[in-house]
Order: sequence, then structure tokens, then C-alpha cells
Amino acid sequence: MSATVPDDSAAPPIIETAAPAPPVRAGLWRRLLRDPGTALAVLAALLLVGAALLAPLLAPTDPYDNDLARALQPPGSPGLPLGADSQGRDLITRLLYGLRTSLSMGLAAVLLGGGIGAAVGFAAAYWPRVDGLLMRLMDVMLSFPAILFGLALAAIFGPGVRAVVLALSVATVPLMARIVRGSALVVMRQDYIEAARAMGMSDARLILRHLAPNCLSSIFVFATLRFGQVILLGSALSFLGLGAQPPEAELGAMASEGRNFLFFAPHIAIIPSVLIFAVVLAFNILGDGLRDALDPRLRI
Amino acid sequence: MSEAAPLLEVEDIAKHYPVRKGLLRARRIGTVRAVDGVSFVLRRGETLALVGESGCGKSTTARLVMRLIEPSAGRIRFDGQDVTEARGGALRQLRRRMQIVFQDPYASLNPRLAVGDAIAEPMAVHGIGTGTERRARVQELLRLVGLQPFHAGRYPHEFSGGQRQRIGIARALSVRPELLVCDEPVSALDVSIQAQVVNLLRDLQVRFGLSYLLIAHDLAVVKHAADRIAVMYLGRIVETADKRALFAAPRHPYTRALLAAVPRPDPALRGRVRPIGGDPPSPLDPPPGCHFHTRCPHAEPVCAREDPPLRPMATNGGAGHLAACHLAERLPPVPPVAAEAISPTAARRLALFTGARAAPEG
Repeated sequence: MSATVPDDSAAPPIIETAAPAPPVRAGLWRRLLRDPGTALAVLAALLLVGAALLAPLLAPTDPYDNDLARALQPPGSPGLPLGADSQGRDLITRLLYGLRTSLSMGLAAVLLGGGIGAAVGFAAAYWPRVDGLLMRLMDVMLSFPAILFGLALAAIFGPGVRAVVLALSVATVPLMARIVRGSALVVMRQDYIEAARAMGMSDARLILRHLAPNCLSSIFVFATLRFGQVILLGSALSFLGLGAQPPEAELGAMASEGRNFLFFAPHIAIIPSVLIFAVVLAFNILGDGLRDALDPRLRI
Repeated sequence: MSEAAPLLEVEDIAKHYPVRKGLLRARRIGTVRAVDGVSFVLRRGETLALVGESGCGKSTTARLVMRLIEPSAGRIRFDGQDVTEARGGALRQLRRRMQIVFQDPYASLNPRLAVGDAIAEPMAVHGIGTGTERRARVQELLRLVGLQPFHAGRYPHEFSGGQRQRIGIARALSVRPELLVCDEPVSALDVSIQAQVVNLLRDLQVRFGLSYLLIAHDLAVVKHAADRIAVMYLGRIVETADKRALFAAPRHPYTRALLAAVPRPDPALRGRVRPIGGDPPSPLDPPPGCHFHTRCPHAEPVCAREDPPLRPMATNGGAGHLAACHLAERLPPVPPVAAEAISPTAARRLALFTGARAAPEG
């Protein structure tokens, strides 16, 4: 046994040749677009988000520009391809701005609720000591319907976008927490987590660098699916009068407003409803497609 | 081998898992004694192999040594320093000096981390070197384990099992540890790749004076790689000795059974090796007396009554040969299975094979 002193000077010299080859990223986009339904959903989602972002540029008029002379004009009237609402506002403009409000409400709720939920989920999976407590807390939150949260928060803050976003976030936290905890528990059993522990890595670094990146696909998929659901819920809250207040444009509120004229001018209620339907459908299919595309077992 | 202070001293460590039943007021209905009073010493530059069946507590022992799990009892000293008591900074320092190589090369690397980053990570955690220095060290390590510098930018899924295992070794070596715990480092690999990795581990040991705690169940690997062997059964060490002494004169019936179970490339032996029957008893309810008496072909009444201590054996020159068997001195001599010459034709074929294998390499 010829044990030598630990010294790496005997190691071969460093050679710096051959630039690192870029990793072959098996194209997520290609896999996502392979399914025609998903491809359509991607297209629809991009169009909807683009329309919402560019609303001020695309809208033919001002969303608050009312002209009672044009009130309840049906689609196809001169200068009003989709007609006008009860206040005589151009429905296309209202839809664009309504979409903007709905999507940003959904985004805010998913970011806020999803962010908190993910943090709770990681904590529960990482520290078994707090797992039971956190998850029972999530169960309690889960047992309240989102509408009830909306009502309560609207009573506290007064109805408005803020109350809706908070209610939707609160309703998203426990769902995200459960999903993240589930996938984090699987990752926690992997040897590379133990390897990281054996290195003496801090908890924060371990979670951020090893745990979170490997749970990202399930977070991403759920956030996309939840985005569609949250928009539907937000529209429902607005429909009930808890959300966006007139004259602000919001798809649910617009549908609610059109309800009064369902017999004389059905387009006022139907068109925003169809748009809600399209948004929710697009993001649901997109979420499903993402799940399939990110699932390594389905990779070819 | 100098008689300097040992690198690692393990004294009577145990890991007991309580088993609870009931929903609200969980009652303790038993204890799984995964590791039950294990002691050994690992000297610098030495390889100690822990062998035994699955579930005998080898991997738990490895994790206890690394303090990845907390022992229920006992003491572990690394270079004279108490591992079981270490906290915070002291524990981090100890972690730099002992690293682990895992069994499953597919699970031991983070799939989202480029190989170079994975290898550099222990250095980053311990704040060793600047970014440039770390990158240089990664290149050096990659070459050391037989990979190319440009592999640093690749991801784990682009490598084979053997390559990944070498990446895992490079990662463990990046902080220049003194002790490497290898938990079944080759059992997930093809036989042809196993030899590569075992030889790599050996080269690295000679080069850097590493000490290995090798967990294995494959006696062929152990015979090649280890200096000393400790045989575990049901959470305890039943026999420990120098490799040569253990293979030549096993004193515990369990060790004998393990050795007899090693496959030998000799068709004449077919049907003549009798395995020990049955499964190991549950560690939740170990049998009284000697844990092995339920399967032991030599068991006597005393074995079921008294727990045999691990005691020194008077063997030919093999100092430090310990076995836990009441009957160690009275056991019949080892059946000469290993010593028996293989048939002349088989020997000729084997010689031809060895010659053919050596030729292209020479």
C-alpha cells in the first residue's frame, strides 16, 4: 500500500481546448407544437395575450367613449363590427380592454397565489416537522370556496379588482402548495439531494438550486391551467358585481351588464362570454399540452 | 502501514427507527434496529469494505458516518474530531473532508445542472477558489476521471452510466476529501464498466492517499478493491478481518455462506454449492441470541440463548480478525470449494480467454 500525501500536482496539466458544446435541448417548442390541438391553443393564447397587451393601439375608440345614440346597436352596424353596449360604447374596444383587465387579474393572482403556494409546498416537503401543520392549514383554506373569499374580501376592501385578485390568490395558494409539495417530495428522495447535503450546502441554496428547478415543470403546467380557471373565477366574481366596477371594462362584468338586454341585444352578453370561454379553453389545452411536452416519459 | 491515529473511528453506533401505529395517539409498537451497535476503525489510505445482504444496514452505516442521518447512539470520530457532536461551521468543515459516491448514477446527478457546474458545486459551497480557478479544476478533474474537458458543458442525460459514475467521483474529489464513502459504487453498472470504475477508484487512492469506506454486496468487487472487510448481518458486524484472512479462513458461518455463494466460472461446481435457505429475519423482531442462528447450519442450543460477542480469533498471523460466533473454533474446516482445481479443459479455456484478453491491451 503506497499511500501518498494528498496532492494534485501530479495530475495532468490543464488543457483548454474545445469550446464547451452547447447542450442539446430537446426542443420543447417542437414537442409542444406537434399536437395540432395544442398548436392551435398556443396560437390562440398568443393572439389573446397580444391583443390584451396592444389594446390601446388596436382599439378603434376610447373604452369610456359613450354615445347613447348608438346604444344596443347590433353587430354589423356601420362603424360597429361587433355592435355597441347599453351605453353605446364600441364593443370591440370594450372587449380589448376587458381582456386586458381579465388577463392581468389572472396573472396577478397566479403569480401571487402560486408564488406563496410554491413556497409553502417547498417548505412542507423540505422540513417534515412543519409538513403536517402547513398542509392542514392548506386543507382548511381549500375547504372555503373562492366565491366566499371574494365576498369576504369585497366586504373588507370594497368591491374591486384588488379584492378579486386577493380572493383568487388565496384560492390558488393551497392548490399550488399541494402540487409543489407532491413533486418536491419525489425530488427529495433523489440521491443528488443527499449529495448536496453531504457537501454541506445551506438549505436555501439546496432548495433554490436543486429542489426548485426539478419541480419547475409541474409548477409551470399547473400555473398555466390555473390561469384559465382563475380568469373564469374572476369573471364570475365580476359578474356578481364584486370585481371590476363600472365603467371599467372586464369580461365578466360586461357579460353581467349585458344580461339586462338579453332579449333585445343578446350580443352584449354573448360576445364577452364567448371570449371568456375561448381564453379558458386556450389556456386549459395549453396547460395539458405543456404537461405532455414536459413529461419525460412521453419524450420520443 | 503506519500505526498513526486512525482516520475514522466508529464506536457502537446504532440507528433505531421507531414504528408507530394509530392515528391520533400514535403508540410505539416496535423498533426497527437498522444498525445495532456497529464499531470499526478505518486507517488512512485503507479501504474497508462493508458487505452483507440487502437490508443488513450497510448503507445506513454509511449515511451515519456522513451524518446524513442522526445516530440513535454511539460515537463517530473523524481524525480525532467528534462527528456526532459537530454543529454548524465545524460540521461543514468535516463535510469537506469526507465525500460520498452513490450507487445510482442516474439519480445522483441533478438533471438540470451542467456537469461542470455539478463538479464545481462542492467548491462553490465551501468557497474554494475563484470562478476561473474552479473552472480550471473542473477540467483537471474531468481528465482525472477519464472524461474530456468539453464535457463540462454537457448535461447528465448525455452520458452513460459509467461516465456518470465517474462524474460523481469527480464531484466528490473536487474538494480534496480524505475519506470517500462509496455506497455500492459499481453495483448499478455493467460488469465491463464495473472494472473501469473500480480501477479508477484504486488509482485515485494511490494518487491522493484516499481512504475508502466501500459498501458492497458483490464479493468479487470487494476482493479486488478492499484491504479489510467487515461482514454485516442484520445491523451488526459478524466478522471483520484482513481481506486475505477472511477469504482464506472465514470464521463465521454467515461469511462462509456468502463466500460459497460467489459465482465461479466452473461448470463442474454446478449443483454442488448449497445456498443457505430462507430470508434474514425482520430487524423489527430479531431472534434472540445469535441473529444468524435461524439460518445457521451449525447452530446449537447456546446460539439461541446467548448473543455472541465479537471476539478476536487466533488465526495464522491475521491480527485483528474478529468474529461473533460461539462455535468459531469448533466449526468444521472450510469445504475446499475455492481451493479445488477446476477441470483441465476448463482451465485451458480460461487460460486462452485470459491470454486473448491481455493481448490487445499489451
